[in-house]
This record gives sequence, C-alpha cells and structure tokens, in this order.
Amino acid sequence: MELILSTLINGLSLGGIYAMIALGYTMVYGIAKMLNFAHGDIIMVGGYVIYVFMATKNPLLAVVMAVIFCVLLGIVIEKVAYKPLRGASPLAVLITAIGVSYLLQSLAQIIFGSANKMVTVYDFGSISFLGVTVQVSALVTLACTIVVMLALTLFVKCTRVGRAMIAVSEDKGAAQLMGINVNGIITITFAIGSALAALAGLFYLLKAPTISSTLGAMPGIKAFTAAVIGGIGSIPGAMLGGILLGMVECISYKITAIAPYTDAIEFSILIIILLVRPTGFLGKKRREKV
Amino acid sequence: MKNTMKRIIALMAAMLMVATCFASCGGETNYAANNTEYVIGFSGPLTGPAAMYGEAVKNSAQMAVDEINAAGGLNGVNFKLVAMDDTHDATKVAALYSELLEGGMQVSLGTVTTGPALEFKNLSAEDNVFFLTPSASGDDVPANENGYQMCFADGNQGKVAAEFVNANFKGQTIGAFYKSDEAYSKGIFDQFKENLDSSVTVVETNFTEANTKDFSTQIDTLKDCKFIFMPTYYDPASLFMTQAKDIIAADAVYYGCDGFDGIDNIEGFDITTIPQKVTMLSHFNSKATEGVAADFIAKYTDKFGKATLNQFGASAYDCVYTIYEAMKEAIDEGKEIPVTISASDLCEILKEQFEGGFSVENRVTGDKITWEKTGYVNKGAIQYVIKDFNN
Repeated sequence: MELILSTLINGLSLGGIYAMIALGYTMVYGIAKMLNFAHGDIIMVGGYVIYVFMATKNPLLAVVMAVIFCVLLGIVIEKVAYKPLRGASPLAVLITAIGVSYLLQSLAQIIFGSANKMVTVYDFGSISFLGVTVQVSALVTLACTIVVMLALTLFVKCTRVGRAMIAVSEDKGAAQLMGINVNGIITITFAIGSALAALAGLFYLLKAPTISSTLGAMPGIKAFTAAVIGGIGSIPGAMLGGILLGMVECISYKITAIAPYTDAIEFSILIIILLVRPTGFLGKKRREKV
Repeated sequence: MKNTMKRIIALMAAMLMVATCFASCGGETNYAANNTEYVIGFSGPLTGPAAMYGEAVKNSAQMAVDEINAAGGLNGVNFKLVAMDDTHDATKVAALYSELLEGGMQVSLGTVTTGPALEFKNLSAEDNVFFLTPSASGDDVPANENGYQMCFADGNQGKVAAEFVNANFKGQTIGAFYKSDEAYSKGIFDQFKENLDSSVTVVETNFTEANTKDFSTQIDTLKDCKFIFMPTYYDPASLFMTQAKDIIAADAVYYGCDGFDGIDNIEGFDITTIPQKVTMLSHFNSKATEGVAADFIAKYTDKFGKATLNQFGASAYDCVYTIYEAMKEAIDEGKEIPVTISASDLCEILKEQFEGGFSVENRVTGDKITWEKTGYVNKGAIQYVIKDFNN
C-alpha cells in the first residue's frame, strides 16, 4: 500500500512535469503545425534565469523573471527563426528547430560553462502521511500542473484569443479569411508554450536542484513522446500522455530487474502507440483529402 | 653523369638512414651513465585546474626523498626527484617523458592523472622503465609489466568495497545506488556484487543517463537502508542526498568510491545540510590523529599548509618509500644497483621484487601493501568520513 502510494505520488509529480512540457509541444504543433524541438531547451534557459536571479535570494522574483525571459525568448525565436519559414517544407522547419536547440545549448555552455550548477530555489521540506514520506515539492508540482492545465483549457475554450487558436489549428486559411491575425495567434502560442517551459524548469529545479546546458534535452524528448502518446495537438492528450509516461518511468525504476531498460520501455510504448493508434490516445483522426 | 650523381645521392641517403637507425634503436643508451644520485622522475599537473593534485604529489615525493637522503640515502647514495608539468594533457607526455629519460631518470612515479598515464605506460614499456604511480587509477595504467599502482584501480574498487562490507555488515541488509548505463558505476557495482558475502543482502536501485535528475523512486526503494553503497560520481550522489535528506533515515551512512572526491566542494551544494553521514572508500585518512598517517599530515601541513593535503600526496609519499625499500631489499639480496644503473636494468630488478611478493608495511596509505601480478595494489580500504552525522 505504502509502496503503491509513494510510487503514485512520485509518478504523478514527474508526469506533471512531462505534461507541462508536453503542453508546449502540443499547442505549438496544433497551431503552427511544426515540431518545436527547441522547446526542451527553453526549460534549460528558464532554469538558468532562475539560477542567475537566485543571487537576489528571492525565489518569487527569480521565477517571474524566468517566465518573462522565456516568453520573450520564445517570441524572438519564433519571429527570427520560424516565421521566415512559414510555408516552407516541414523538414526545413524541423531542421531549423534542431538548429535553434543546439544554438541555445551551446550559448548556455559558453555563458555558464559545462559543469553542473546546483541551485536551491526553495526548500519545501517533506511531509509524512499514511506511512509514506514525500517531498512537498512533488505535491506542489502536481497541484500546479493541474491548475495550469485547467486554466489553459478554460483559456482556449472561453476567451476570444483561445477560440481564435482553435480556429487557426482547424484551418489556417479559413481563419485568416475570418479576420484572425494568424501570425499574432502563433506568436501568442509560442509565448504561452515558453511560459510553461519556464515553469517546467522551475519544477525540475524544485525536484532536483541542479542545472546544466543539457537540462532540457531529455525531458524535452520524453515530453514530446508524451505529447505523441496522448495525441499531438490535444491539450488533455498532452496531460494524459505526460502523466502516463511519468508513471511508467517510476514503476519501471521501482522494479530493479527492468530498471536499466526504463528508457527503452518508455520509447517502446511510443512505437506501439504509433503502430496501433497513430493519432495517439486523444488525437483527432483527420482524413487527408486527396 | 646525371645518373651517377643520382646514385651517389641515393647511396648517401641510404647510409644516412641506416646510420640514424643505429643511433636511435641500436643498443640501449644509458642516459644515467653520468648520474651521481638515483633519479626518480614523474609528470603531473603542476599548473592548470588539476594543479592541486600535481602539487601534492611533488611536495610529498620531495618530502620523502629529503627524509631518505637525510637518513643517509641508499647505502650512501642520495635520491633526486625530477618533476615535469603535463597540465593533465596527455599530448604533452611524450616530450616530457623523453626529457625525463634523457635527463637520467632511472625509475618513475609515472604520471599523476590517468589520461597522461595511458600515454606514459606505453612509452615507458618500450624503454623498460619501472613506474609506480601514486594516483593514476585507470584500469589499464598498469597493463604492461613495468607499471604498478599505489592507489586502487577504478575497476578494482568494487572488490575492495565488497571486502569492506563483508567485514562490517555480515548478515545484514545494505542498499546500493548506481548508474546502470555508465561503465564506471556499473563496473564497480558488478564487481562489488560478485565479491559480496552471501550473507549480505543488497537492496539495489539504479538510474540511467536519461534520468539523472529525479531520484524520488530510487530514494523510496532505499528508504529503510542504514548503509548505502554509492559507486557514482559526486554529481548524482549530491542530488540523491539533497532529495533524500528528509526521507532516508538521519542515521544512515552513504559510502562512495573515488567518484565522491570533491563532493564537499560543489558550488551550491552545502553538504552540512545533509543529516546523514557521508563516507568514501579511500586509502588515506586526511583527518587521522594517530599513526603514520597523522605523522605525515603533521609534517606535510607544517611545510606546505593544508590546501594541497590530499590522498594523491600521501600516496606519492608511500611510492617513494616503496621504491626505496624495494631497491634496498634487492641490494640486501645481493643484487647490484650502482648509481649509474640504466633505467632498463633497474626495471628488471624492481619487477622481480614486485612479482616476488614484495611488501611494505605500516605506510601512510596502508598497513600492509602488496601487489598483484596485474600491477593492482592489494591493501585494506578505509572508510573515510567526508561529513559526519549532523546530530
């Protein structure tokens, strides 16, 4: 029982982080129809901004600055790297995204060096209940993810901008004809995705207080996997995929015999999903018109 | 005319080639022919980021040499230490090695760090120069017949740690945390398990490269363990400890290998916030208060201060004494070691000693030290306390 409960909490909180990142992937894909592979590195940038501003010993300021910086960075990347390629082949955009990813990693390495840096944002301590002791930060992460996810769903469903986003994701051309500023919407999407990435960076640091230039690379790929499993383009799908992947990872690490194969297991799930249900759990099946 | 000219030039060129060949590989040049002291050479990082290790080796080895000389040397012949700065750069080793050898080096401490040592071991094997490295812990460093280690080889730490656990935790349960896709960590763990007493139960948990940040599951697995073996580098270890500080029992003990070296010196990681005891496998206790180790510490800090006091130096100090004793024993057995002996001849004598069960006792880094034929050292490990319990 204790075992199940502690694994559940750990899995949910890790899954929460994956979900938070996957939301960024999925929104950008849904609206701009591109895979923003630099998304994971925004997490890293967010982490470093927090690291820099933690010199002020004010965690709140550090987090706010990280979100603002990442939003601006997301917008700049979109304007400079992706916008000129609107209408270009998806492959060109993909390669550009990978280029941006390496650019961010290398810049971070030049500025901060390659050694890991430890940064304690805030020590929530731990609590015990029902016989298990867990880090409070895990619960905070979980709670925040749920709040963000609800807020995002409400935003998309109930605001003008949100509905414009849905329209753009459904049919870019038609949305433009209806008077929607498609470029503006895409920029807003990148801004939101980057803000989520900054938050994911924060939660990562709360869990494990270390930062390096490759901090975002692996979580980025895992979250991308989560987004695809959940159905890329779908917000609840990203949440579901993230939580699922987090749970699988924790359960797998718990079973010593299969622990070394954890990554293989996670990515095998991706392959199986792609074979059996190519659109993911909650993805819409879209018939291509010939 | 033209042809004759060509022939003469060709002939001259051929003769020149033959001549240079004779010069370089014809017979052994004894560079030590003019020595008036036995010359011990080594290279290490005396400048650059790893300088504290090279400095420690240089200072300690010089201290041992001075002590031996003050006591009359070896049958009246003094020793001399020659140190070269390789800045922990393997590409510099070849030139430095030649300089050492041509400068009359007869026996060597090899290099201080493993990267350069992998160059050094091949160069010295070609010329048959004996070396006993204080700190280059790579498994392949003593691969050739002429190389020996004073420190534990990386790949032998698992065995040494298992012996320690067997002696102290018979019939008990311990935890283990390692990185399953890293040769260093997995290698040590596998060897550890292989050599573990069957009465010791291990609760093991591991992580992979893709998961070097969140250890909540692993911590949960080990939460009831009171002794946790951690053959990882200090980065993941410090993360584990930070995340586990309230979950693992406050009276638990962490036991790492040489990967823990420097864990109390990570920027942003305050080890004093960890309530548990943090220890590591070592051969030198820099906080020793009695015995040879304490004497060494007192002498060293008196001369060079505390900043560079570390196991590298302690090991180098032992190396010099070991070489001295091996030579002394050979002489006592009737072998001749003139001050002008060539490096190769001395190497043969020392190899015979080391292969023949030679041992040194009551040294700074071990009570009884012997060597395996592989060049690995055999001595008991100590549990060096990096940080004690907070309460």
